[in-house]
Amino acid sequence: MENSTDFLEEIAGKEYEHGFVTDIEMDILPPGLNEETIHFISKKKNEPEWLLEWRLKAFRAFQKMELPSWQNFKMPEMDFQAISYYAAPKQKVKYESLDQVDPELLETFKKLGIPLSEQKTLAGVAVDAVFDSVSVATTYKEELKKLGIIFCSFGEAVQEHPELVKKYLGTVVPHSDNVFAALNAAVFSDGSFVYIPPGVRSPMELSTYFRINAANTGQFERTLIIADKDAYVSYLEGCTAPMRDEHQLHAAVVEIVALDNAEVKYSTVQNWYPGDKDGKGGVYNFVTKRGICKGANAHISWTQVETGSAITWKYPSVILQGDNSYGEFYSVAVTKGKQIADTGTKMYHLGANTRSRIISKGISAGNGQNSYRGLVQIGAKAANARNFTQCDSMLIGDRCGAHTFPYIESKNNTATLEHEATTSKIGEDQIFYLNARGIDTEKAVELIVNGFAKEVLNKLPMEFAVEAQKLLAISLEGSVG
Amino acid sequence: MIMINQLETPLYESIAAKFEIASLQSGSEALQALRREAFDIFKSTGFPSIREEEWKYTNILPFLKEDYELDVILQELSPEEFSTTAALVAHHLEALQQSLKGEQKGAYRLVTVNGKINAGLSVLPAQEQLQIRSFAGAEQDPSFQKHFGKIATLKDNAFVALNTALYNEGLYIEAPKGCVLDKPLHLVNVLLAGGPAFVQPRHLIVVHPNASLEVIETTISDNEAQPLFVNGVTEIAVGENAHFHHYDIQTGRKGMRFVQRVEATQEKHSNYSNYTFTLPGTDLVRNNLVLHLNAPELESHLYGLYLTAGQQLVDNHTEVHHKQPHGESNQLYKGVLLDNSKAVFNGKIFVYQDAQKTNAFQQSNNILFSEKASVNAKPQLEIFADDVKCSHGTTIGQINKDALFYLQTRGIGEQMAKNMMVNAFAFDVTEKVKIPALRTYLEKLIAAEMEKA
Repeated sequence: MENSTDFLEEIAGKEYEHGFVTDIEMDILPPGLNEETIHFISKKKNEPEWLLEWRLKAFRAFQKMELPSWQNFKMPEMDFQAISYYAAPKQKVKYESLDQVDPELLETFKKLGIPLSEQKTLAGVAVDAVFDSVSVATTYKEELKKLGIIFCSFGEAVQEHPELVKKYLGTVVPHSDNVFAALNAAVFSDGSFVYIPPGVRSPMELSTYFRINAANTGQFERTLIIADKDAYVSYLEGCTAPMRDEHQLHAAVVEIVALDNAEVKYSTVQNWYPGDKDGKGGVYNFVTKRGICKGANAHISWTQVETGSAITWKYPSVILQGDNSYGEFYSVAVTKGKQIADTGTKMYHLGANTRSRIISKGISAGNGQNSYRGLVQIGAKAANARNFTQCDSMLIGDRCGAHTFPYIESKNNTATLEHEATTSKIGEDQIFYLNARGIDTEKAVELIVNGFAKEVLNKLPMEFAVEAQKLLAISLEGSVG
Repeated sequence: MIMINQLETPLYESIAAKFEIASLQSGSEALQALRREAFDIFKSTGFPSIREEEWKYTNILPFLKEDYELDVILQELSPEEFSTTAALVAHHLEALQQSLKGEQKGAYRLVTVNGKINAGLSVLPAQEQLQIRSFAGAEQDPSFQKHFGKIATLKDNAFVALNTALYNEGLYIEAPKGCVLDKPLHLVNVLLAGGPAFVQPRHLIVVHPNASLEVIETTISDNEAQPLFVNGVTEIAVGENAHFHHYDIQTGRKGMRFVQRVEATQEKHSNYSNYTFTLPGTDLVRNNLVLHLNAPELESHLYGLYLTAGQQLVDNHTEVHHKQPHGESNQLYKGVLLDNSKAVFNGKIFVYQDAQKTNAFQQSNNILFSEKASVNAKPQLEIFADDVKCSHGTTIGQINKDALFYLQTRGIGEQMAKNMMVNAFAFDVTEKVKIPALRTYLEKLIAAEMEKA
């Protein structure tokens, strides 16, 4: 056991894999935040008047807000003036095909393993890659267009489909929802936009890849997904950032609208730079994600694998407004080193016969602190609502912590709610059993953790599941001792 | 902002006035200092609002609007008062007393009237078995000095601070070393006030090493519908190898509002078990039950049952702090909600870094009987040690329709079938009651309330 521990600790020294910096000419706005900044961004993006107005409204709301204090970690010092709110690869013309994209940028995405080039069609994933704040390439666009599916960068959507953007923007996450959502609404520079027309099933997974590259920038992207009646889409999101000593802020907003009988699956594999083992640097991942099942029988499912970021702080939520609608949340959060995760979900049951299911698996190692915070709220009209919640925590090492803060509120006597949570140590006997079968400790931990997280990993699309499994293994290397 | 608004209300004025009186009467330097400190804390916090996490679901402010009298001091009872009080005690406790007298060996009875021990109404055990004193007579006692004001948390705790600043009579119960009390002690708190009153009962119970004690606590007040706000604090110290079974039966009348904090410390190999039963009647009950498991190898059990009706709001907050290894704690709270009543459950388990091999369990189940009833639950775990087993479970639901139908097909009427099922639901908690007579009494109380519904 001792020897293997040493060996594992050695591997623990393994640095963040995606921590390279790409040398690309950047268009960067100097740090600072005021109305000028917003005018600048809006102008740069060639936005219509109403959007600028909306941004300014959000900015004014942001100015009045204070940073929250209820979270289960010490709020880091935030200097919003020290952040650059716009960083884009310098681009003169719009890309027609990938050949025109800066080769260095393509190299970056290749390193990240994103199937950006169309030759990798076998992967069958349509990708919208967001580099710092600007969407650089969207693959498969033509093919999707034939089906009427709109999958493009947010900026493009504003230009080409302003009616859709105007109709749905801010309807799920209002401009003044919380301090980071307000900041995002004011300064978001790009993101992804998806619209699936009635009755269409997206034939492939849609995917966005985010990368923060420039120093001192925040990434504020905004994603809006609309699934019209009877539509279906599965959406994937992945993220990386280079290693930097200073912290970087990532305050994104994701809004999902599902109309009658529509289904949206949103999967995230989050691997932002977590900072080094002393907690220096790393990304603050403060994201607002919320979906609304607007129509009857709608279905929204969040799946997340969170292994990166210095602090992960987000609660992907579902508003179950339509009768018989269904919300799901599956999460695996790994914290090691000095990482902190305060994550969970909120399920608002408004319609009758609404159902929700929450499975959360937290794994803490090293000095990591992992909190599950969730809300299940049953409104007075949510007859026969049903919720099942399970949150399990696994502790590896005696310096880490696992916390659960579930809020359960029921105002309807026909609702049935269940919540259960367990916390335990990684089983010594299980490790011993596997050791006895000739499997070394490291591999054994990997097996046990994967088994622990299986329920969630199973929900991920195939190629993501493999990546997530690898990511878990890498994250936990050297944590046993 | 809020503070300023609050301070302008008459209640705050009377609190300040009452503090002046209280600080005049109290004895030793240390106690004076404690009162002042507590009052300063209260002044800085004010009464909690729903913006505070701990009071998120319980809005206390509407219950503070009355023109409360804070200075309720009772000298000796006049013969007339004595007989009416005796009648009151007898009337309210007939059923319980009878149950206790019945098959069992019975119980000792300790009656306090507005915090003052009333020997005439009490049936007390011998002094060697149990020492019962008022605070005034105990100030020099070393174990009083060791524990008083040291267990209940003042910081960020407006109600404890208020109680500490204003209490005027306290009850000190001490179970001597190695002493096993042969019968349970029934503690009857009688609260008498002419008009709306705000009272601060204060208890300190010290169970010395190897002693064993059972206490059944009930509170009654005169039968007027006058608002009565009871802000109680009970401090408990359970010594090594000692056992303390603490039953709290919360019945009451309309107009009564309870905010209570029971805070206990436990030593090695000790056992503290708390059984809290809340029944319809009172407007508001807020129980804060806090355990500090300061030593290794001990066990604690917290059982709660709340049956709520009318506009009642019952809020149970528990905190268990596992500070040392090999501790075991077990919480089971069950609720049945009728009418427009509201219940809140917030259970917290903290496992500190040194508390390896902790076993902590928590469960809360609720049945909503009516469309207007609501439950807010928040079971919380905060764990800093890795070799532990902790779990919690919460359910909110309704009577199982299939089971109800089954019973009806067997010729059992709907009402009776429901009562049977509520009894079965409550059984998990009532069966934990170690005193058979008390258990019978509680089951009868529950059945009677269900019949009314």
